[in-house]
Amino acid sequence: MALFDLHDVSARYNGRVVLDNISLCIAEGERVALVGRSGAGKSTLLRLLYEQCAGTASLLPQEPGLVRTLSVFHNIYIGRLNRHSLWYNLANLIRPLNKEVDAVRAIARRMGIEEKLFEPVGQLSGGQQQRTAVARALYQASPILIGDEPVSAVDEHQARMVLENINENHTTVLIAMHDTTLAIAYTDRIIGLRDARIVLDRPTAGMTPVDLDDLYRT
Amino acid sequence: MTSTARERAAARGQPSPMVRTSVVFVGIAVLAAFAADIEITTADPWSEFGRMALGAVTPDFTATERLAEAVAMTVAFALLGVTVANICGFALALAFHVRAVRVGCAVVRAVHELFWALIFLQIFGLSPLTGILAIAIPYTGIIAKVYSEILEEADHAPLRIVPAGSSRISVFLFARLPEAWVHFKTYALYRLECGLRSSAVLGFVGLPTLGYHLDSAFRQGNYAEVSALLIVFYIIVATMRRWMHRRLLPVYLIGAILMMPGGVDISMANILRFLGSDIVPFPLRMAQSIDGATLAALGHWTAAMFTEEALPGIVNTLILTMIALVVSGIGALTMFPLISPKFFGKRQRIFGHAVLVIIRSTPEYILAYVFLQLWGPSMAPAIVALSLHNSAIIGHLIGRHTESMKIRADAPRGVNLYAYDILPRIYPQFLAFLFYRWEVILRETAILGILGIPTLGFYIDSAFADVRYDRALFLIIVTAALNIAVDTLSRRIRSRLRLKTTLDNG
Amino acid sequence: MVKKLFLIFALLLGNCATVQAQTLVFTAIPDQDESRLRSRFDKVAVYLSDTLGVKVRFVPVKSYAAAVTAFRNNQVQLAWFGGLSGVRARNLVAGSQAIAQGEADRHFVTYFIAHADAGLRADAAFPRGIAGKTFTFGSKGSTSGRLMPEYHVRRIFGAAPDKVFSRVGFSGDHSRTIALVQSGAYQLGAVNFKVWENELKAGKIDLKKVSVIWKTPPYPDYQWTIRGDLNRVFGAQFAKRVKAALLALRDPVLLASFPRQRFVSAANADYKPILEIGKSIGLID
Repeated sequence: MALFDLHDVSARYNGRVVLDNISLCIAEGERVALVGRSGAGKSTLLRLLYEQCAGTASLLPQEPGLVRTLSVFHNIYIGRLNRHSLWYNLANLIRPLNKEVDAVRAIARRMGIEEKLFEPVGQLSGGQQQRTAVARALYQASPILIGDEPVSAVDEHQARMVLENINENHTTVLIAMHDTTLAIAYTDRIIGLRDARIVLDRPTAGMTPVDLDDLYRT
Repeated sequence: MTSTARERAAARGQPSPMVRTSVVFVGIAVLAAFAADIEITTADPWSEFGRMALGAVTPDFTATERLAEAVAMTVAFALLGVTVANICGFALALAFHVRAVRVGCAVVRAVHELFWALIFLQIFGLSPLTGILAIAIPYTGIIAKVYSEILEEADHAPLRIVPAGSSRISVFLFARLPEAWVHFKTYALYRLECGLRSSAVLGFVGLPTLGYHLDSAFRQGNYAEVSALLIVFYIIVATMRRWMHRRLLPVYLIGAILMMPGGVDISMANILRFLGSDIVPFPLRMAQSIDGATLAALGHWTAAMFTEEALPGIVNTLILTMIALVVSGIGALTMFPLISPKFFGKRQRIFGHAVLVIIRSTPEYILAYVFLQLWGPSMAPAIVALSLHNSAIIGHLIGRHTESMKIRADAPRGVNLYAYDILPRIYPQFLAFLFYRWEVILRETAILGILGIPTLGFYIDSAFADVRYDRALFLIIVTAALNIAVDTLSRRIRSRLRLKTTLDNG
Repeated sequence: MVKKLFLIFALLLGNCATVQAQTLVFTAIPDQDESRLRSRFDKVAVYLSDTLGVKVRFVPVKSYAAAVTAFRNNQVQLAWFGGLSGVRARNLVAGSQAIAQGEADRHFVTYFIAHADAGLRADAAFPRGIAGKTFTFGSKGSTSGRLMPEYHVRRIFGAAPDKVFSRVGFSGDHSRTIALVQSGAYQLGAVNFKVWENELKAGKIDLKKVSVIWKTPPYPDYQWTIRGDLNRVFGAQFAKRVKAALLALRDPVLLASFPRQRFVSAANADYKPILEIGKSIGLID
């Protein structure tokens, strides 16, 4: 059964065509990488897909959407705001409850930011911020994850750890990324975008980064 | 020749909208200066000046009776007024999209706190409510506006990622409020400093704050007492950031409440009489019935008020405001380096801070009086007093802003740093502050009637002095309308130039 | 936060609602020496309290208008007013009575003073040469610093002061009027004669720089005014007892606050000229 189904979709941004007659079907359980040069339309496509599932997915936008003045704990906790009553949320905002701290700490540990748990996010490095954003998405624990360059600010070792965790926690994964090696290693389907069109769509099995070079050639 | 000049200009690029706006305002100020009543009539100010100088260097801290009480009251009224205004202002900021709230806030902040105090004096007498409401009401209007702008400007990105189905309040608390909170705290502290000034100034109309004694001493030329009172006030303002801790706030508030004097009753009859009769225009109040003659008399009354007081008041107020606005801007750009770590070391900055605290905490009318002695009566002392006061306030805000600015290690120094790095970077923020002060300067022209400049405030003061509240209210409404017009214009300009309320670092 | 707000208001209202019903509250317009005003007038309160057998409290006010308002709102029941403020107050409170005045107040005088550079000499006749110069009144609500000088200016020139003078200011206070004219900031000013004489005695005036050029004809000024509804609260004949207490006041220390030698009887009718002048120049509706 198709979870996402786009049919002849186009999009414009400031009068420029960013998506041109895109048709696309993604089933539950698929792990899909969107690859292509900057400006090829990846972010726009992800946004359309996110709108289609009406917010039931965990979202990792390029701008990580962190609240800079709140601690790592609170930023991760935001992933489950919808599961608790207002009063419970309020109590956690003022003084985090042990139960929640333990749950959040476990995820923060996996992301390697446990020791920063009560520091304001604004004071962290770019990589730590990105991992905080991922931790929040993991904590949200939606079956679907939609991520726009979720590993752009971390080193390769951390990127692998992040992608492994994403795959473990979400059944359906849609991520845009630049690193073709990682894309091949951690997804099972690659969609290549070029000049607002889908120019490639095939399983990753047996693929090598060289096969994707065309997408980046000028 | 001309074509090459034009080409060269085109190659250099057009001046930015910010520069163009600045040039327009300077132009308006120059035109206003031609229309303004500026005249220097010096005689021999030096003996009075000598007395002032002598007083300044020989402050007499024993001359004022109940000095400690006045200090405590100044702080107490400021704390209570600003706290109430913060609570109400925050609540209204959340509803600021409602037109009625926006208009209501614009109206209440358009009236100077001294006039609020004069209105409440008619109703509550010299009860604590008069002082607290006189601060809290206009400040609520200001805070609601600023807080709503801060919320508007806070990063909206976190809103995208909150899981669907979260309650709106939870989302607000986690994703909107925390970003804004930092700015709220900074602004609240700044408001408290303004509150201390207002609280002191309310002493001029009789509240038992420092201004009460300051006014008496000043009127009588007891300059040693004046300087002692001013020094005490400077110290309160300068040390505010040291004693104002969030955790101590409840203690201070309880102390402030307990200190409020009691003993004045609130009489419903007084309130009703004020609202039902005192502020009703004279011809209506005197009329037996509403007939043609009454309406004619009312029309005549309104026309007379408008042509004899409101219109000349508006003209003088605007002329004074426009000149003072531009001079304040120039002053602020000159003064801010005094407290900026980008230009001066720590020791030198202590001196800079002292200078700015002194200039911005000395009530404008005292500054005006000093310059009046020097130059004789005209708009000049008013312009200089208003400009000094406001440039020290804006200079202080910008100077603080530069503290968090990062500059390259190999950046130029001194004048080059000022002209090529700092000035271009702070200029948007500077303009934002200046346009904010615009309506404040307009309100402050109110209290310079001593110079014989018939501003709107001068006529309002006369109406209160003559116990003619109908006239006072008429003129207050005119003033409020003028204020709202200036405020609207200022907002348009700020939004066109994309000037923000909140400081961004960088 | 909301609770805190309620607490504040509850406490405030609680504070205010404790009406001190049986206390006679009085005030005095801020006109003369304001230093240590509270201590000095608290002594007057003690004298009145001892003589009348009721609690008496002094509240200071900052302006003529504030004194009138407090009197009208029954926040004070007895007040030491100027001529104009007294007339205003009695107009607003039916039944209120002028009960006492100083000896000097029967024939009070305003001095027109001029800076030496103005080139005007003292004269018994009104100095027409003042036209076109700069001029400062005292407070807007003052009889001696505003009402009477404005009346005479209008009488002689048939025009409002801002038409007669090149610039008109309101110094807000007699002492400041003197200081402003002495420094030449204003060429001319109108001042309460008592304040002038006091400052002259205190050595604050340099006659080479500023001098009196004209004295107005005498007029009635300061007086004690009492509300008419006090007998109900304080017992029969209370107004008369207050009057008697004031007339019997002999302590020079207490009298120095006003500053008067002693008080004599006064009545509303004594101030009819002030009322008429106020109306004629448009300061009273």
